[in-house]
Amino acid sequence: MAAGALHRSIRTIQLHGGSNDSASTKEFGNSSLKFISKGFAVDVKFLSNRSRSFSHCKMHVIRAISSHASVVDPILSTSHVTTDFNQNTSIESSLILIRHGESMWNEKNLFTGSVDVPLTKRGIEEAIEAGERISSIPVNMIYTSALIRAQMTAMLAMTQHRQKKIPIIMHDESVQAKEWSQIFSEETIQQSIPVITAWQLNERMYGKLQGLNKEETVVKYGKEKVHEWRRSFDSPPPNGESLEMCSQRAVAYFKENIEPQLQNGRNIMVAAHGNSLRSIIMYLEKLTSQEVTNLELSTGVPLLYIYKHGEFLKRGSPVGPTEHGVYAYTRNLALYRQKLDEMVQ
Amino acid sequence: MATSVFHQPLGTAQPHQHLQNSGFRQEFGHASVKLTFKGFKVETGLSRRGGYSSCKRKFGVIQASASHTSVVQPVSYPPNNSTDELRKKSSEAALILVRHGESLWNEKNLFTGCVDVPLTKKGVEEAIEAGKRISNIPVDMIYTSALIRAQMTAMLAMTQHRRKKVPIILHNESEQAREWSQIFSEDTKKQSIPVVTAWQLNERMYGELQGLNKQETADRFGKEKVHEWRRSYDIPPPNGESLEMCAERAVAYFKDHIEPQLLSGKNVMIAAHGNSLRSIIMYLDKLTSQEVINLELSTGIPMLYILKGGKFIRRGSPAGPTEAGVYAYTRSLALYRQKLDDMLH
Repeated sequence: MAAGALHRSIRTIQLHGGSNDSASTKEFGNSSLKFISKGFAVDVKFLSNRSRSFSHCKMHVIRAISSHASVVDPILSTSHVTTDFNQNTSIESSLILIRHGESMWNEKNLFTGSVDVPLTKRGIEEAIEAGERISSIPVNMIYTSALIRAQMTAMLAMTQHRQKKIPIIMHDESVQAKEWSQIFSEETIQQSIPVITAWQLNERMYGKLQGLNKEETVVKYGKEKVHEWRRSFDSPPPNGESLEMCSQRAVAYFKENIEPQLQNGRNIMVAAHGNSLRSIIMYLEKLTSQEVTNLELSTGVPLLYIYKHGEFLKRGSPVGPTEHGVYAYTRNLALYRQKLDEMVQ
Repeated sequence: MATSVFHQPLGTAQPHQHLQNSGFRQEFGHASVKLTFKGFKVETGLSRRGGYSSCKRKFGVIQASASHTSVVQPVSYPPNNSTDELRKKSSEAALILVRHGESLWNEKNLFTGCVDVPLTKKGVEEAIEAGKRISNIPVDMIYTSALIRAQMTAMLAMTQHRRKKVPIILHNESEQAREWSQIFSEDTKKQSIPVVTAWQLNERMYGELQGLNKQETADRFGKEKVHEWRRSYDIPPPNGESLEMCAERAVAYFKDHIEPQLLSGKNVMIAAHGNSLRSIIMYLDKLTSQEVINLELSTGIPMLYILKGGKFIRRGSPAGPTEAGVYAYTRSLALYRQKLDDMLH
């Protein structure tokens, strides 16, 4: 069943090579990503730019110039997509990380953790804003946590996306849930962006502090203890998780489920929480535990990484006034954006 | 543990008896509903005035006029104090039904059914609008379907609610989910509105039509067949549900889980879908299958019913330009609103 294939091909993604037979198919039209599921084989027609360097240490941070269209060279699939070597080299995929905005307990200054609290009006606006900032960056799959504030952030952000593909949340909590959510049109499936919810991306579980306000807690446990729990790497609140424990499950999930997708050239968006995202960034940027405890992620301003040659390149700074000031577009991203512009005329 | 109590009464609520000795406690101050946890008993302080009738055929449909507080007529019953019937009669509970707004597949004219498709920008606005219309009506519990468009509608609507209690989604899918979402402050719990998600409130499952556009389907199956599936009561599309089947599971859920809450005086909001809500209305208004087929529910305009004396009284017409034009406030509701006004000054 087509939809079953959709599910399966997402879950058990094998490393497919971007093996383009004829290297010189200058398929401009194909430079945007098409999510085509053919049984278990997913072709990615995302052609990449020249230099087939097999070195893993390519860190070109190319700053895109503000006028996007004119400076873009055709994405040449030319040359050397040598299939013998590392199939990863010709592939570039983008990874967007979004931290959800203000929740109703943030507003009330209560420790939230894994309690499922929704967004405030402000949180909603932040999500929509975040969506505007990433409206020209390709997204093929979305991962969120099991909590509504992250899911809403993702869905609200995607209402702003220019590509107009439709996020569909995958359900597999039971056989019935799987059956009931099946889609019966190939075309529709192609226009869909699967959304996977995972508790492993949840906010750090705050144990007995969940629901308490910050004063109450200080009174109950003492200022230092509380400070320690909040700011240390490996000291958990009672019955809760330390940042270390949170990273363990978040990064494991990322490595097992999300990274393979990136290796296949799929562009991913992850909508999650302060601590789960920090943990992932710790992995992406190889931070020390000291560095990660000092890392603050802004809400409403998504982070962009490019996965290339097996490396994660940071392409967006968390603080920036406009989209251009925030993301360093790669050639592929610029082409994608150009395509969107053409589509929407 | 205190929090397990939180979960229990919601799932398996028994109708609580309100043994109000004297029927005339004019507790204006207590007209708002308090959700207090005392072990397994949940008491509400929603008192009423007027007499008690043991007659079961009271349909007081009163239309409110534009100026809300002054013209509210008490729902009057002949003063008849038979105490054995007293229990059920002594409480009045509000039931709000909200149908979610435009989804991304509505926009594309695709059959959606149980596929988990999110809201469009317009759907988001409709939800917020709906929230404004019910911002003065008490809500103690929320029930939604398992689909994001209904959940988002509920959460978006509640950002507009004046009472400022915080909806918290309850998680039951596993032992860990339950543990991780525990709240450890009594105060915080009292300020929470539990949100229960249930697949039984999902949209009617459309089987092999899910994802197809209306044209495709007419081509594939023939125009008449399609019309039959969409508009008949008991003919299901291939591998899908008929309206009758949908009604079975939705109304059963309502009777088992939601009605007991209302009977115990809790005010409930249900955010769901066209067909599941129609099914419930069929039960509330005792419609025939012919009548229910012709029933169209508008999106963005919530419907209000009052459960009183064991009967559901419709207090809102789906078509109305303003809040006052839509809901016929009872005395209790007007008092609640007044209390909100006082609170916020």
